[in-house]
Amino acid sequence: MPNQIVTVGASQAAAVATRTLRRRGYDGRVVLVGDETHLPYERPPLSKELLAGERSAEDVTLLSEQWCADNDVELRLGVRAERVDTQSRAVVLEGGSRVEATAVLLATGCRPRRLPGVEGGERVVYLRTLDDALRLRAHLRPGARVVAVGAGFVGSEVASVARGAGAEVTVLETLDVPLERVLGRRMGEVCARIHREHGVDLRTGEAVESATETGSGVLVRTTGGAALEADVVVVGVGTVPNTEVAERSGIACDNGVLVDERCATDVEGVYAAGDVTSHFHPLVGRHVRVEHFDNASKQAMVAGKVMAGRKGRHAEPHWFWSDQYGLDLQYAGHAATWDEVVVRGSVDALGFCAFYLDAGVVRAAFSVGRGADMFLVRELVGAAAAPDPAKLRDEDVELADLLPA
Amino acid sequence: MSEWVRVAELKELARRRKTQVTVGDEQIALFLVGERVFALADVCIHEERSLSKGTVFRGRVVCPGHQWQFDLATGWVEDQERCQPTYDVKVEDGGVHVVPRPRVLAEAPEAAD
Repeated sequence: MPNQIVTVGASQAAAVATRTLRRRGYDGRVVLVGDETHLPYERPPLSKELLAGERSAEDVTLLSEQWCADNDVELRLGVRAERVDTQSRAVVLEGGSRVEATAVLLATGCRPRRLPGVEGGERVVYLRTLDDALRLRAHLRPGARVVAVGAGFVGSEVASVARGAGAEVTVLETLDVPLERVLGRRMGEVCARIHREHGVDLRTGEAVESATETGSGVLVRTTGGAALEADVVVVGVGTVPNTEVAERSGIACDNGVLVDERCATDVEGVYAAGDVTSHFHPLVGRHVRVEHFDNASKQAMVAGKVMAGRKGRHAEPHWFWSDQYGLDLQYAGHAATWDEVVVRGSVDALGFCAFYLDAGVVRAAFSVGRGADMFLVRELVGAAAAPDPAKLRDEDVELADLLPA
Repeated sequence: MSEWVRVAELKELARRRKTQVTVGDEQIALFLVGERVFALADVCIHEERSLSKGTVFRGRVVCPGHQWQFDLATGWVEDQERCQPTYDVKVEDGGVHVVPRPRVLAEAPEAAD
């Protein structure tokens, strides 16, 4: 059979892998199987520019029909994959038809974690897809009452866009400060302050018991006994990896499809990239699953190169950004634990970079309004640099000079 | 008729190693690396951030917005497969001169790896 690479999933990772394959000279056919009916599109704008009406559905398209036609790429959209036949190497679709493959890329992404008592509906949105975002957008009007459940990045970005649209926004967060597990208490408090300074009613230590559509709105009840009426509720309380196809195929999973630095699964010829993976990362020293656009893109480039017969290794630090109230928030690296946070710049003025050090080594950094520093921050994290904290704090010292020689 | 326009003094560029100049409708970012000057369109083709506020490292300028890495000489972004416009630039009589006509690569450079 002629060479044919099949992706299961047709989003960021699948699109980047496809482009990489073509750029690296792979001359076989590429087939993308995706369960959504839209052309492949990028998701970060769904809680940002697209939600704010600054970009249209067309603006977020990753691969156009024309490009696919010109590059011998077939899109099979609105189609569910059932499993991978790992013996004869084919993707078996729902209904039983088969798409033969010389290699398979699992790029099935993740889905929002569901809250008990909170069923998704017209006015209760678990934001993941373009259709979800368009449905939510229709409700973001001046004076609309918006409740965000979860003050993570999804809830925070939606709160920001909703405030921009003139809506009244309440954010409910079970932790004492937003993003406490990722950023720690002090930086979480900075995020809380940002919300409150922009007129958001942020209620921490408050969990949701139920959200019920009433026809004209939603009634939200919290475990603390509060009842809130909303026009729309958005829920962003983490994700679950879409591992079903992998599991039905006998491919090893553990909180995601297990892959190595080359994006290879435990089955020959089957690779995985993006949010669905639990990938070994040398800087973390173990398998991790993250839901970052950049990680999906980087892994997909590696998978594309490897499937094209080239060398590839995913070892760069993780990185993501968030746009909130006109502020540029960025994070690089991965710090599960740390023993010191060193701040460079001004927290009060919201122009700073906070470095997370563990035994002196820079493991991660969070910045607000300091995007220009983040490239060198990534280099510091990537090099496992252990700079003198006093120098790290001192803005007269260039970050580049703190890189190991 | 020469199209070269003197847009900045090398001495001033040497102080901060990057700056932004405007020639007609063109907003141009200038970078000094060693003794060589590079000129790229200042407004990032991705989301309109200013590249002259970016970080220069290993022959690239990194946009502060989404960390796209532009090759200073060609404007090419390897992992996005897109190209920032560049300008012809030279240093003469202590002045930085550009031809205010943007260029983009006609085709993608050979993949490095």
